[in-house]
Amino acid sequence: MLDLLTANSDVLLKGLLTTLGVSLLAIALGAPLGLLLATASRHPSTAVRGVARIYLSFWRGTPILVQLLLIFYLLPLIRINLPPAGAAVVALAFNTAAFQSEIYRAGLAAIPVGEIEAAKMLGLTRRQSLIWIEIPQAIRIMLPALVGEILALVRNSSLVSVIAVTDLTRRAQQIASSTFKPLESYAVALIMYVAIALILSSIGMWLERRMRCSGTV
Amino acid sequence: MKFTLLMAAATLALSPAVVSAQDLLARIKAGGVLTVGTEARFPPFEFVENGEIVGYSADIMTEIMSSALPGVVLKRLDLPWQGILPGLAAERFDYVVTSVTVTPERREAYYLSVPIADATMAVLKRADDDSISTPSDMAGHPVGSQAGSAQLAALERFAGTLDSAPDIVSYTDFSEAYADLAARRVDAVVNSLPNLLEAARQRPDVFAVVSPTFGDPTYFSWAGRMDEDSASLNALFDAELKRLIKEGTLTALQEKWFGGPMDLPTELPTK
Repeated sequence: MLDLLTANSDVLLKGLLTTLGVSLLAIALGAPLGLLLATASRHPSTAVRGVARIYLSFWRGTPILVQLLLIFYLLPLIRINLPPAGAAVVALAFNTAAFQSEIYRAGLAAIPVGEIEAAKMLGLTRRQSLIWIEIPQAIRIMLPALVGEILALVRNSSLVSVIAVTDLTRRAQQIASSTFKPLESYAVALIMYVAIALILSSIGMWLERRMRCSGTV
Repeated sequence: MKFTLLMAAATLALSPAVVSAQDLLARIKAGGVLTVGTEARFPPFEFVENGEIVGYSADIMTEIMSSALPGVVLKRLDLPWQGILPGLAAERFDYVVTSVTVTPERREAYYLSVPIADATMAVLKRADDDSISTPSDMAGHPVGSQAGSAQLAALERFAGTLDSAPDIVSYTDFSEAYADLAARRVDAVVNSLPNLLEAARQRPDVFAVVSPTFGDPTYFSWAGRMDEDSASLNALFDAELKRLIKEGTLTALQEKWFGGPMDLPTELPTK
């Protein structure tokens, strides 16, 4: 297995960078969209809430594989021709936005109403209350779930090879086909995915520890 | 489900009439990029080595690009076989440079090129398995092939002629089928002879090719879209492939990648 790793290290590294690039871009694009959706699903208007609900049920309720194929093959029909990597980022971003919005909604909903009322009583505006009271606490509550979502997205990104994105999984598949050694090739990919997960989750844990200290006033 | 969706996408993509002043070949020359779809998991035809798509078809493309499309950059997308023909129909790429086994159904739907290689079906078994010595010994054994492939269709036809039908298992691509053969979940894999020879050459301790081949002689070709827009690009590929067959370049490449020459016609046999 070691010789397979050394012989293909460049290629695997490229695959790793593609996996990380697609995943992190999707997370970054999905975050603002998720916040928007979370706001929409708490909106007083029924129509706005309805739109958010339809979006969520579609993107959370259909397989990512189908979502990727839809974005890749159906968008060209309305003359939007994204390159494979672009289509992958868009599909994964739309997907993670739905899951992230639920995390944001739950985080904001977890703030006790008493605190918000107290803030109002003390003369804080709605915006001040959000910035100083609700969001800092919500971030701390949401962090573990967000790290989990990022890890899930990295795993889900292993599907992007169906639309011609050569990610880590596809690299391992290519090596498996040319060497006829599938077990070793996939084991190498597995180890790299575990490494990504360990690094991301330890960053998450470090952030949690840091925020716990600064937040206790 | 996936297949249905792809077919729906493909059908929809074909319906709107694209009216353009220039045809596909003119746009490729103007844009300087030819995008082709490839399933780079089909050694020795097309596979990846050190991050580059190499193999028989890559060498042919080098010849064609330098003689017919100088100054145009070749962009090869690697995607699973099941996405290749639907992707061509949905205009995700201009042409398919991957080994497409010629079948009557495919000739109805796509423009298949001059043949590039012999694709006659054969059987791969484990080297230590004495129970299979001719293709008909597959009867009663679990046998694997690739989903949506002409090889699978040929296997199904052949299975119908046997006394006890083999248990047919289909895979996303042939690598998984080979892996399951080594893992003893299937006892044979049906693919075209050149691919199986390569598998046996790479892992002689594990795999062995069963002779003789079975079924009618078939060929591999490349594919373009059937529409007017693609006609001049299809003609360019046909002319170049014919030239390479006549000049003996293809024979030299066959010796390099398959270890021996193939007898190829310069036209697809009539249907």
